[in-house]
Amino acid sequence: MTQPPVVDVRGLHVRFGEVEAVAGIDLEAYAGQATALLGRNGAGKSTTMRVLAGVVPPTAGTVTVGGLDIRRDTLAVKQLTGYCPDVGGLVPRATPWEHLQLSAKLRRMNGWEERARDLLERFELGDVMNRVTGGFSHGMGRRLSVVLAAMHDPQVLLLDEPFDGVDPIGVEATFEVIADARARGATILLSTHLRDLAVQACGTALVLRGGSRVASVDAQEMSGEEGARAYRALLD
Amino acid sequence: MPTALSSTERGTTAYPRTGWIAAARRAVVDVGILFQFRKHAVRRRHLARVLSLVFLVITVGSAVVPAFAPGAGGPGKAFSILILMPSAMAGLLALNVASAVASGGGRELISRDHASPYPISPTTDYLGALLLAPLNIAWMLQAWTLLGSAAYATPGRLLVQTQVVMVLWIVFCTAVGQVLAWTVEAIRRGPFGIAITRTLVVALGATAGAIQISGNTTNLLDRVPTLWVFTNAISGWSWTWAGTALLVLAGALAAVVLGALPAHLAATRMPRDEARMETDQHEPRPMPSSVLGILIRTDRASVWRSVPMRRGVLVLAVGPGLVALFGDLQWQQMTILPGLVASGGALLFGVNAWCLDGRGALWRENLPTMPTTLFDARAWVLAEFLGVASLITILVGALRGGVPNSHELAALVATVLVVTTQVVGAALRWSLKHPYPVDLRSARATPAPPAAMVGYSARLATCTTFTGLFFSFCARVPDWRLSLIVAMPCLLWSATRLVRTRQRWEDPVTRALVVSTVAA
Repeated sequence: MTQPPVVDVRGLHVRFGEVEAVAGIDLEAYAGQATALLGRNGAGKSTTMRVLAGVVPPTAGTVTVGGLDIRRDTLAVKQLTGYCPDVGGLVPRATPWEHLQLSAKLRRMNGWEERARDLLERFELGDVMNRVTGGFSHGMGRRLSVVLAAMHDPQVLLLDEPFDGVDPIGVEATFEVIADARARGATILLSTHLRDLAVQACGTALVLRGGSRVASVDAQEMSGEEGARAYRALLD
Repeated sequence: MPTALSSTERGTTAYPRTGWIAAARRAVVDVGILFQFRKHAVRRRHLARVLSLVFLVITVGSAVVPAFAPGAGGPGKAFSILILMPSAMAGLLALNVASAVASGGGRELISRDHASPYPISPTTDYLGALLLAPLNIAWMLQAWTLLGSAAYATPGRLLVQTQVVMVLWIVFCTAVGQVLAWTVEAIRRGPFGIAITRTLVVALGATAGAIQISGNTTNLLDRVPTLWVFTNAISGWSWTWAGTALLVLAGALAAVVLGALPAHLAATRMPRDEARMETDQHEPRPMPSSVLGILIRTDRASVWRSVPMRRGVLVLAVGPGLVALFGDLQWQQMTILPGLVASGGALLFGVNAWCLDGRGALWRENLPTMPTTLFDARAWVLAEFLGVASLITILVGALRGGVPNSHELAALVATVLVVTTQVVGAALRWSLKHPYPVDLRSARATPAPPAAMVGYSARLATCTTFTGLFFSFCARVPDWRLSLIVAMPCLLWSATRLVRTRQRWEDPVTRALVVSTVAA
């Protein structure tokens, strides 16, 4: 690979008091590529995503996104990224349109309304764009989180469990978002427990265990029954 | 191959239906189990034990110590208080009912979402709310005031008899408050429920206003049934006393049992206010011109679209205002009100201000904006919320007060500014130090666990009442400059603490802990 990685993580450690959520992860992700983060619960996938989103600061190690140090240039990194968090990710008493307005304002976007409407329609959320998200089903919330992450065409798209509880139409729309992002040269990191969907959406898969990376393989090697066995072996 | 069951075969074994006594017994046991569960979740147990001891000491102290104060049980001030005791007893009942009704049946022993996987009956839910009702500084202050007044007003030889009836009366009021609150909740969730409850509130307010305007308040208070209860309570060891005590006890027990009925009825109905709030359409508004503007707008929507906050602020703003209006409070005494209202307002969400974003906190934290701008928006919205509530209270209370003179006005303005800054500073400091994952959807939700809420409310009430009393003194000094001169150091001190909290919020590690906790 001649290009430098857009996301470059070296020896990342994240501690919450006595708990070490991430214990020395190394990770590189490149422009125009989608990388899946796989692993059991508590493997450190979501914490790594939160670090890359600038939500949780690293305890140790170096993390650069788009060549920017996440500790020093947190705000600039947030400008580059679009983040769909693993839990909810929506302000309960704001409407989808108000979420989009807030994001557009803070990112100084102009003429965003058409794209926002298009995304809402693609994710079948057009009818509920003026209803507060507190009354949304889990799947609707997930779909809106993907819309919010993708709306500003970020250079780095961070999707944490975007398929969780989402119907097939939502899954297809998310695939389209990932494909579009890849086509325009964005870097995608996708954390999920659904191995089959990760294989379909991504070119590379990283398997995490106990807060560390245990494998980095071509996603196709994780497909089918053979891939399932290989994945299962990496988890134990 | 036959697949259907024949008439002689039995299908799945039906779950045996329990009788209502067994169900009630089970509900009581479940309350114990849930209470233990909540008790184990208390973070600072030592502090909780100390606070429980303090509560016990203050309760016993207020029931006994005033009896030994100079003039206790005598013909002077003590007699004046004695005459007011039946009204105070009626007031306790009214405030218990209003408080329980406003919170949609009282606090939850376990939140609705957390309770959903478990077989918890509405009776358990209702008994839990009843059990938690005293964990409220307003309830405590009223109870202590009633016990203290009774101890001071009645002759020492009647102390035990009087206090036995007063304690039973407090239990009775708490239980009746719950019954009525659940009844109103069941009505509110039924057909035309919101219209019916609003009509009832307006009718009650209009009746109270008519009584006051026609000058019949004293006549009414002279006829309240509590007069009979109190007269019998101070009749000494007698059959009349015993009968009254037994009657109040029986009333309390009956209320405890009866409350389960409306609780069951309410449980079968959809909470309309919450459902409406979540399905209403909010038409898009034009984009604000500044980043701070859109952040304030988002936070404002989070506050005013929440059922507990809307109901809470209405009761807080209008309730003390009406008390001031009907009690004919003078401008000099009005300085007490902003502190009470601001403290109560902060307890609706301010003491855990970052929970307003819920799980959206993670997404918001990824948005490219300065953390201080987020802080400023939250502080502004909290101050605005408290300020508006205080102003409504003052406006309602001032309807009979006439035009204030310059030093009264200056004292009131200074009080509003100082207590709002004090409360905003304290609330945001605590929000940073002790965040909790709370969903403020339910009308019964509170921003922190019950024990923490008691601590917060006690600290806020102490601080703001002291400030209010201080400015009440300033309002009596005929120089408007005094209040403003006194307010300056208070404002500077509170503002400095607020700025320090703002600086702590800038620390990404502190912020990450808060955001991860409230979004959990």
